Amino acid sequence: MIKDIRIVSRRFNLPQSHTLEVARQHGAYRSIETLTERTPEGIIAAVEASGLRGKGGGGAPTGAKWRLMEGEFDGRPKYVVVNADESEPGTFKDGHILSKDPHLLIEGILLTCYALGAHDAYIYIRGEYYERQQILQHAIDEAYEAGILGQSIMGHDYRVDLTVHRGAGAYICGEKSALLESMEGKRGHPRLKPHQKEPEWYFGNPTLINNVETIATVPFIVTEGADAYRQYGTERSPGTLLFALSGHVNRPGVYEAPFGTSLMEYIEHYGGGIRNGGTLKAVIPGGASTPVLTADEAAQARLDYESMQGLGSALGTGGMIVMDESVDMVEALKNLMAFYHHESCGQCTPCREGTGWVDAILARILAREGNRDDLKKLLDISETMNGKTVCVFAPAASSVIDAMVQKFETEFLRYLDTGGAA
Amino acid sequence: MSTQSVTITVDGTPIEVNPDRMLLPELLDKGFSIPHFCYQESLGSDGNCRMCMVEIAGKKRPQISCDTPIVAGMEVRTRGESIEKVRRDILELELINHPVDCPICDQAGECSLQDYYMEYGLYQGKVDKKEKHHFDKHIDLGANVLHDQERCVLCQRCVRFCRDVTHTDELCVAGRGDHSYITTIPGETLHNAYAMNVTDLCPVGALTSKDFRFQQRVWFLATSPSVCHGCAKGCAIDIDHAKSKYHDDTIYRFRPRKNPEINGEFICDAGRLSYKETQTYLLRTCLAKEEILADAEALDRMKAILTEDEYPIVVLADANLYTEELAALQAFARTFHAQLYAPLEAYHDPAFGDDWLKSSQRAANAEGVKRLGIATEMPTLNDNTLVINVNHPDGHRTANRIDLLTHRPDENTERVPARLTLPIAPWVRSSGHLINEDGIEQYCEQVLRRNDPTPTLLERLAHFLDKGDDTILDNMETAL
Amino acid sequence: MSFTWTSAHRAELDALKERYPSPKALVLPALWKVQEQEGFLSLEGIEAVAELTGYSKAEVYGVATFYTMFHLQPQGTYTLQVCKTLSCALNGQGTILDHLKERLGIEVGETTPDGQFTLTQVECLGSCGTAPVMQVNDTLHEHLTPESVDTLLDTLSDKGGSL
Repeated sequence: MIKDIRIVSRRFNLPQSHTLEVARQHGAYRSIETLTERTPEGIIAAVEASGLRGKGGGGAPTGAKWRLMEGEFDGRPKYVVVNADESEPGTFKDGHILSKDPHLLIEGILLTCYALGAHDAYIYIRGEYYERQQILQHAIDEAYEAGILGQSIMGHDYRVDLTVHRGAGAYICGEKSALLESMEGKRGHPRLKPHQKEPEWYFGNPTLINNVETIATVPFIVTEGADAYRQYGTERSPGTLLFALSGHVNRPGVYEAPFGTSLMEYIEHYGGGIRNGGTLKAVIPGGASTPVLTADEAAQARLDYESMQGLGSALGTGGMIVMDESVDMVEALKNLMAFYHHESCGQCTPCREGTGWVDAILARILAREGNRDDLKKLLDISETMNGKTVCVFAPAASSVIDAMVQKFETEFLRYLDTGGAA
Repeated sequence: MSTQSVTITVDGTPIEVNPDRMLLPELLDKGFSIPHFCYQESLGSDGNCRMCMVEIAGKKRPQISCDTPIVAGMEVRTRGESIEKVRRDILELELINHPVDCPICDQAGECSLQDYYMEYGLYQGKVDKKEKHHFDKHIDLGANVLHDQERCVLCQRCVRFCRDVTHTDELCVAGRGDHSYITTIPGETLHNAYAMNVTDLCPVGALTSKDFRFQQRVWFLATSPSVCHGCAKGCAIDIDHAKSKYHDDTIYRFRPRKNPEINGEFICDAGRLSYKETQTYLLRTCLAKEEILADAEALDRMKAILTEDEYPIVVLADANLYTEELAALQAFARTFHAQLYAPLEAYHDPAFGDDWLKSSQRAANAEGVKRLGIATEMPTLNDNTLVINVNHPDGHRTANRIDLLTHRPDENTERVPARLTLPIAPWVRSSGHLINEDGIEQYCEQVLRRNDPTPTLLERLAHFLDKGDDTILDNMETAL
Repeated sequence: MSFTWTSAHRAELDALKERYPSPKALVLPALWKVQEQEGFLSLEGIEAVAELTGYSKAEVYGVATFYTMFHLQPQGTYTLQVCKTLSCALNGQGTILDHLKERLGIEVGETTPDGQFTLTQVECLGSCGTAPVMQVNDTLHEHLTPESVDTLLDTLSDKGGSL
């Protein structure tokens, strides 16, 4: 039986939870009040010991990423950037933090800046989140007014300025280096990967980028300790995640749960089961860039990185798209590939041309003008898109194609064999 | 090499390489064939085309060699079934939205896409024609550059040239995904003096020269190394020309030839288009005042004037002449006790010059003139002096003169007819040395076969010089 | 035609400049302000952004055409952005879109003759839990049904184009 654990979402259900008053009544900024009791190194060590993993989809260890910011870098300023470009289909958890508990995020940002020696932080928010941006900006204004942000944060001799930077409609800007390109005023083209471990760079200055929820988890770890976080989740995926449900469930939404929770129990407990008493057909477990799970696979799945990897998929953002028996998987793949086609930045040849070609072939299959060679063609193109581009956008598309075509081949064949008739 | 070279293994063979460079440029220099679009020697790599993949032992996936640092002992494979399949597959994606219109494309024959297809592709097309995207074609970008968006592989060499080399930033990639395209700002055009270099940089037929397109198939062209005569910079060029049956050997274009000391890989548009001057408005006949003369008759009259008239003689030499020609004029002047001048003021053109490859000194061999000790001021002239004018722009001021000219006198300029006028062949018909304004000496090969009987300057002068006059060569060697 | 920043926008941008390591960072914020002023991005507006940031006009143009929320052409008073991605598709976005097309008498990408409504389809709006959704200009509308769409359009029409 699932027990509710609320680390990031603990204030979500309070009325007016986005206001400073309510947030402070319920514990916001305590870690900043007592900042003098902590050292930057102590904060980094706690984050490292907590095993916190990036909650934007990649799941990379946060502590190790923070460690890359250590050093003098010739005295260049350090920056903290929060990735609020949440655009992964099926994913809407960060939007909940922005609109329901923006002060938790601000608190996390203050701790992160203090730990890393940064004084300027930015929140890159997707352009479509306009209303959520208004709430967030209001919270920032309140925090400035209350002296929580600004020249001396809560009276401490430490400056933090926080600026919201609005995107303008580009999924790829959720990729950290594309995001920084965008924040430098350029097209959102991901950068070539560095040849050694190093931080990100914003106008040539060392920069940390973390997802909204990752940063929002930091206050808990700092105040309650690494072990308190580790008591939830699994050994390798410690803590919790704001998982999300959409598609054919009775109660779609965002619900925090520990890593390792059974996927089916989660759907039952939080989602209220499949809509209209239907039968589960498939689940896309962690946003549109994770390979689909069949109902059988979903029955074995646990919501952690290792379990999902074991099933040939990925935990991704934890945004689950649940599909019942009524779903046509060819249409579903077409829908996803239209997304990839639309969102490819166009920089690398395999991605730019591959996503469009796959989309066109699927359109032809749906129009019942396809032939059996098309399935092989889809898998061939997918192979060319995998592992040959600057970023992981094309490899993600590739894994999505492979899983759909292989696991639901009969559905594709039905379009190909009827030769015109349904 | 600034640092010690290291040994790596490429396709089983150990080679010495410079560890300060990325793998691709180093391997290209060593003669390995690795397809690439976005990497270009002068522009560097961008990492977008993904064509230059190689296998590196110990790496799970193929790597783009343009962004792979060299590590001592690394094992690289540029050949083999698996890496060639990767290349073939990526190349196929380059081609899915390409119109494959090689028969009507001007780039055919010097197109990387075509070459790579022949080397690695050779597959049956898998693309349904209906699935191809269509883009705009024959867009006039200005500056003689035409753009065919369908043929573009988005390597961005042109964008990077205008951004990083000329700093004029006329071009950008607009749109996104497979609807990205290269464009200028709507309503604006390329406006830099070097814009046509993008037609050389473009590895495919997306950017072509309006001046050259449809004029000649490139496989009919012969290429001769030469030097641009447009100004004192002396940019190295290749001259592409062709002789077809019943037609003269004709120059179709100048292209930059790599010379790191002078022009890198580029030339200015004015220089590029100056090939036209070598084959238009050429003077073909001898004239006495305005009456046509046979060549032999003209030579006889010239000899008579030189030996019988008692006027002092001044020779005005064009500062574009080859050093050898100038030296021969010195000998000529000695023989006839004449004063030789190559007045440079006429070539000064501040409106032309810039801080890169365009010099305000428009004479290609001004430095050669100086080194030979030829006077560069304009002497005071009147009709009591006999002037021998060899192509000098200001050589036509007095009536008592003999002209040796390449071009027909411009009918629009006021000009006293010369007593005698003899044609001489344009510079592309002879060979010789030029010294550029930085003192760099280069050799120009004779490019064109003889199309008409017009003699070169040296052939003309041979009638007047003692064949045994070794001082010509001696004097030249001293100068150089 | 020319473009001039409103004094409020100019002041905001000047203040914002202090927040970043380079004025180049202002491209997106400034383009947003141009679009707010003009309803779309004119070439003159793009030029003003280039001047402000130190990028070339062509670079800013490339940026403006990369992001889907920037418009290089004037739009209707209300741009209806119907989410088409999977969770909305599973929850009836097709019905909503068909209903909008029929009611407005236009296809996707078109604007009603009175200039009130521009109909577009967009990728995931990040509100999958309340599908199907659409955004009207900057306002999100959730749990759409043909009836709720009708009510919404009636309200918007009554406003007579004033926001």
